[in-house]
Amino acid sequence: MTTATTVQPAPAASPISFRQKPSRAKLIERIFFWIFRCGTYFIVLCSSFIFLTIAYKGGQTVFQTSFPFLNMEFLTESPQTLHVFEYEGQKYEMSDQDFRAFREERGVDISTTTYAHSGGGIWPCIVGTVMLVIGSMAIALTLGVLSAIFLSEYSRPGRVLNAVRLSILNLAGVPSIVFGIFGVGMFVLAFGWGTSLMAGWFTLAFMVLPIVISASEESLRAIPQGLREASLALGASKWTAIRTNVLPYAMPGILTSSIIGVARVAGETAPIMFTAAFAIRDQLPWEGLDRWYDFFFEGVMALPYHIYVVSAKIPQNEYTERMQYGTAFVFLFIVASIALASILLRIRMRSKYRW
Amino acid sequence: MSEADDKNRYNLASRRKTFLGLDKEQALKGLFGGNALVSIVVLALITFFLFREGIGFFGQYRDSLKLYRSSGLEYVEIMNEQSAAFSGLTRYLNSIREDQTQLLKEQGLAFREIKKVQARDNDFFYGFEDLGYPLREYVLEKKELAIASRNAYEEMENLKVFRSNLLAEGRTEEAAAVSIVELDLSATVDQIRSGREEFLALNDTIEKELEALLAEAPTFEAASLNAKVERLGELTRMFIAEMEEYENRLLEWDSTQSIGMGRAFVLFLFGEKWVTNSSIQDWYGLWPLFSGSLLVAIIAMFLAVPLGIGAAIYVNQVAGPREQNFIKPYIEFISAIPSVVIGFFGIAVFGQFIRNASNWEALAWLDVFPLAERLNAFTAGCLLALMAVPTIFTLAEDAINNVPKAFKEASLAMGATRWQTTVRIIVPTSLSGIISAVLLGFGRVIGETMVVLLCAGNRIAIPDFTEGLGVFFEPVHTMTGIIAQELGEVVHGSIHYRALFMVGMALFIISLLINYVAQKIVIKYQISRG
Repeated sequence: MTTATTVQPAPAASPISFRQKPSRAKLIERIFFWIFRCGTYFIVLCSSFIFLTIAYKGGQTVFQTSFPFLNMEFLTESPQTLHVFEYEGQKYEMSDQDFRAFREERGVDISTTTYAHSGGGIWPCIVGTVMLVIGSMAIALTLGVLSAIFLSEYSRPGRVLNAVRLSILNLAGVPSIVFGIFGVGMFVLAFGWGTSLMAGWFTLAFMVLPIVISASEESLRAIPQGLREASLALGASKWTAIRTNVLPYAMPGILTSSIIGVARVAGETAPIMFTAAFAIRDQLPWEGLDRWYDFFFEGVMALPYHIYVVSAKIPQNEYTERMQYGTAFVFLFIVASIALASILLRIRMRSKYRW
Repeated sequence: MSEADDKNRYNLASRRKTFLGLDKEQALKGLFGGNALVSIVVLALITFFLFREGIGFFGQYRDSLKLYRSSGLEYVEIMNEQSAAFSGLTRYLNSIREDQTQLLKEQGLAFREIKKVQARDNDFFYGFEDLGYPLREYVLEKKELAIASRNAYEEMENLKVFRSNLLAEGRTEEAAAVSIVELDLSATVDQIRSGREEFLALNDTIEKELEALLAEAPTFEAASLNAKVERLGELTRMFIAEMEEYENRLLEWDSTQSIGMGRAFVLFLFGEKWVTNSSIQDWYGLWPLFSGSLLVAIIAMFLAVPLGIGAAIYVNQVAGPREQNFIKPYIEFISAIPSVVIGFFGIAVFGQFIRNASNWEALAWLDVFPLAERLNAFTAGCLLALMAVPTIFTLAEDAINNVPKAFKEASLAMGATRWQTTVRIIVPTSLSGIISAVLLGFGRVIGETMVVLLCAGNRIAIPDFTEGLGVFFEPVHTMTGIIAQELGEVVHGSIHYRALFMVGMALFIISLLINYVAQKIVIKYQISRG
């Protein structure tokens, strides 16, 4: 039982006041902190402005008010020329395919204003990007994670290992265009693969390889040594120790790093510009192949390159704008959701495992 | 139980299944090790390959420069420079006339009347302009001669290679059928140089006539025009003085002087021209590209460093937990925006905004405004700043977070305000981390391709630093941009292809250097946590 005590009211005129006195130092502090606060929110505002502009304008292309609420033509067709014309006093906008049908049907020759790349949709670009990501991540993850296990668990610490680690870390910061030019020289020209899916896979894979290795190795090395030792002391073999006591705890870290890799691979334009991406290809990657393995040696369309093409190579006006913003929106949406997943995963994992 | 089994009873290793002499453990180790080896070899291969493709550039460039010299083109180019300098003078001259027309128009004169007023000075203006024609004609004639002989020489060289290829394949008959006209470049050079007297005579007339013309230069009512005429006189006198220099250079020029590898190297690193697909001579000078990259990066860092570090300090020291949990992931999230999307935003929205903003009344006091170009170094720099902020922010925030809590608490206990603690304790302690964050941000900016390719304006020229603030609003080209723009059109193995590889090499070395220095700084100035 606690005894209740009555709180004495403070004397009306206390000789000591704990209220902060205004001083110059306090004023300076407040001014500077406000400047920093404004700067921080300025960054947040700028980026939000970019997101919102693209989401707002792109959303007009991607979504529609009637069922099925998504602009299916935009998401499932391939890019085409847009025809804008007046026929019998009415204004029409049609992609090439529809326009041909329309002309056949009416049997008339109509003069039109055409806008390249502004009609149709972006389906082949989405397919191409997904293929590039899957292939290159398969290569990069196999090589990267297994290498990381070796470097962290099996290799003998020493000068050589440090040098290898340092150079891998340094390679992670090399600009993507350098990997691009390497890919062109090596895969496209020297190996004679041409602009192809395969060349793109390897270029992208080697670009993210340093990132995957260093991030995976870091999460492996973050596992306390005691776990391994305890397992070995119980008679487990080295591999059993790794399999049961290291990998399960390192998995979240490895997963996060690989998702970051996916976001990077999906988002980069420079490495695929000359190794894998076509500005326009009528057929989907698996269509129109003479032999099955031609699949690997044909270029694909890709979202980032398509954005580059539609924003740099065609003029800006109300018709082309829809395609530009729509593509940018879809692309931003895909990459941003991958990145968001990795950030959320990391936050969750951080609080889950703490040594 | 056999004897062997009995012997191995306590040897656990013998019970393991082996495949090709390896048990499971060893096989797994081999698998991991093999992968690591492949990765390391591949990454080393990238370095090697870049180097191998790039290094041949210097030899080819030297040969090209040699031919440029031995065919006499270099000689012609000196004369051409003089001719171009004179053209510059006539441009200035014409600008006087244009100004006059403008002034008279403002006074309300009709076109015909303006012509009448101007007819008074026609002798001066036309006389001045006409002086340049014979010189230009002369240079043009010599240039054509030199180019023709150079092209013929190149063709001969190609045929020789073709023949030796045929011989190597054993097709001797075909090889014999290839007829090659041996060409002696020195004959052309002599022919070009023999006109020296003529050229000197031309120069003499120009000099005399110019002085005579200047003596009777017209005067106008408007002071601004008179000042321009005065300036023209100055420029002309400078030109006359320079003519001597051109003549001396021509005299000293020697077609047989050799060009070393060092010269090719210097011309690549510090050459001021990047000219490709030219009929006269291709130049591969890194300097305009490097300075363009640097200018864009400086603008970006100027914006991103205060913002990034300020945000890091704010989030770590000032913001409450809830604010932290929102801002930190958000800024990290910015780094996920693909660069091509930001570049597109620059073309579609931001470039236009910058140009519109430059027309605002409030900014009229800046004499570089309004802008003519919407895509320039500033546009690209601002967008790159947004890309560098997350890098700088994340790393700087980490560094600040690593400062031991006791440091901060001790400072606060001594009665320092939070701001004083931040400036005197937190920032100095984490300075190494912050500097490396800035360096890595810089590395990211200089290696960025799509934004500069789309938004920097892509004009190959060294930024004109004499223009003051205006230099930030010039269109520039960058090292990354040039690779992306020209790689698609080069022939495998050509000098242009190798030049692009050298640019890639330069980028590679720069980024390795930045990373290396950043790591060194972090390790060397790490705070001891005692």
